[in-house]
Amino acid sequence: MSGHRVAALTRRLLQGFRRDRRTVALLFVAPLVILGLLGYLMRNSSVPAVGIDNQDQGPVGAVVTSALESSPLISTTTISQADGDAKLKDGSLAAYIVFPIDFSQRAQSGVIAPQVHLEGSQPGSASPVLQALQQALASAASQAPGAVRFEPQVNYLYGGSSLDTLDYFGAAAIGLIVFFLVFVITIVSFLNERSQGTLERLMASPLRRGEIVLGYMVGFTLLALIQSAEVLVFCLAVLKVHNQGNVLLIFGIEALMAIVAVNLGIFLSMFARTEFQAVQFIPLVIVPQFLLSGILFPVASEPKVLQVLSDVLPLTYAVNALRDVMLKGADLTWTSLDIDIGVVAGVIVLLIVAGSATLRRRIA
Amino acid sequence: MSESYAVDVESVTKSFGQLHALDGVTLKVRQGEIYGLLGPNGAGKTTLIRAILGLVAPGSGSVTVLGRRLPNLDVLRQVGYMTQQAALYPGLSVEENVKFFAAIYGTEGGVKEALEFVDLYDRRSSVVATISGGMKQRCSLACALVHRPKLLLLDEPTVGVDPQLRVQFWESFRRMAASGVTIIVSSHVMDEAERCQRLGLIQYGRLLAEGSPSEVRARAGTQNLEEAFLKLAGERQS
Repeated sequence: MSGHRVAALTRRLLQGFRRDRRTVALLFVAPLVILGLLGYLMRNSSVPAVGIDNQDQGPVGAVVTSALESSPLISTTTISQADGDAKLKDGSLAAYIVFPIDFSQRAQSGVIAPQVHLEGSQPGSASPVLQALQQALASAASQAPGAVRFEPQVNYLYGGSSLDTLDYFGAAAIGLIVFFLVFVITIVSFLNERSQGTLERLMASPLRRGEIVLGYMVGFTLLALIQSAEVLVFCLAVLKVHNQGNVLLIFGIEALMAIVAVNLGIFLSMFARTEFQAVQFIPLVIVPQFLLSGILFPVASEPKVLQVLSDVLPLTYAVNALRDVMLKGADLTWTSLDIDIGVVAGVIVLLIVAGSATLRRRIA
Repeated sequence: MSESYAVDVESVTKSFGQLHALDGVTLKVRQGEIYGLLGPNGAGKTTLIRAILGLVAPGSGSVTVLGRRLPNLDVLRQVGYMTQQAALYPGLSVEENVKFFAAIYGTEGGVKEALEFVDLYDRRSSVVATISGGMKQRCSLACALVHRPKLLLLDEPTVGVDPQLRVQFWESFRRMAASGVTIIVSSHVMDEAERCQRLGLIQYGRLLAEGSPSEVRARAGTQNLEEAFLKLAGERQS
């Protein structure tokens, strides 16, 4: 064991980094970006929006309502029950709670039975709503004489209590996994093309830039399609992830996502000189998309600034589309689904153009 | 008339930041000629070759290849290019590499001939990652001429190739030139320079001297090319 030899190795390593400013920057900037994003997201996310319709003719409904209004877990608005389902559908409410006419009357006899309507496809928002209600009811119980029984009637617009965590995340994960793996493979192999000198040879051939990008896209897309099929079959058949929609439609959305990943990989490989630098794109490209695409936190509850970011990330639309299909049984007659798919397709066209344009030019 | 030259480079400059890689180079190569570009490392040989391929846009001046002014994508169909480091796909076999380059130039035939030309036909199924440096170089040459180009640009083609094969290469180059193919070879091996019909000495991005090997020797008043080159390069520097 020679201290000199070990020191020589250590020195060489640090010297290399000294010239690779970008790696150093990334090493120290990326953690701040990611943690900052996560922190901002968690501290500043808005709580689920809950509509309340108090039809109670007695006093208890009002007591519970005011307890709910002061709960930090949710934000409340007054609505009318008739509008409730529509507001759940358009995403402006995560849940609505109705206190029926006989709410106080039944509370007198020891039964507290509010109606809770949950949207059901957003995993993060159901539990704070139920928790807030629990606390509010406890305050009401102290008003009622004698023993009381809580009998909330919970309805789900989509899904239901039978859905578990995997059902919620499975839909999104299908899109994410394919996107991530295809992106990494594409960016690294396109970079190989550059570093092994074959890109230079291609540029000196009659190949047009668009042809190179398209050739790459088709090749990797074929691979990605096989992978997508595998992921889908595994999720549905082995993991038994809940699905209400058309399997081919899911596959189609997955395939679009794979094509986005291929083209994003080609485009970003232009900005990396080594595979090392390419790998560094992963925390910058993948992690924010993971945090902001609505997989973990509903986009609607994000701070406004981050919502703007979410709205320009293609994964957001893909995740939304996959959840719509798998949890809500959406098909192509749903305008919201068509919009999501349209946005993803638009991103593909944009990336193909950008990829071709940045492929280092021949004589301008 | 520019048509009488296979390659006509007219006062081309190219700078990369502060570095003047090409500083007003004029170069005219006739059809069927074997032209040698000589110069030390970093003299601008590769940049000049890349300018002839349209891979770098000249800051000023013009490049005309096979009668067509660059930029021109179609003319590249008739140009073969062998890079300094073998540019091959390591995961493909020798034959698959050559076939790929044949396909992007739109000629499926000629693969066997090209492999035989570089004496790799028997090794055609070997995966490139597993063959020696010299074989890679030969495979790279096969890729450069599989589409039977009218102009062949070779950037130090015989680095790592054994002497026996090198002699074979040059015989073939001469045969190709006799059939009308124009060949531009960059090199810093003087032994190769002897075999060219005409030489251009490049240093500091400029063409210092030009002529047949004997003309260059006579001009420098030396016995061999190496001394001639050192003398001519030294004169300009001082």
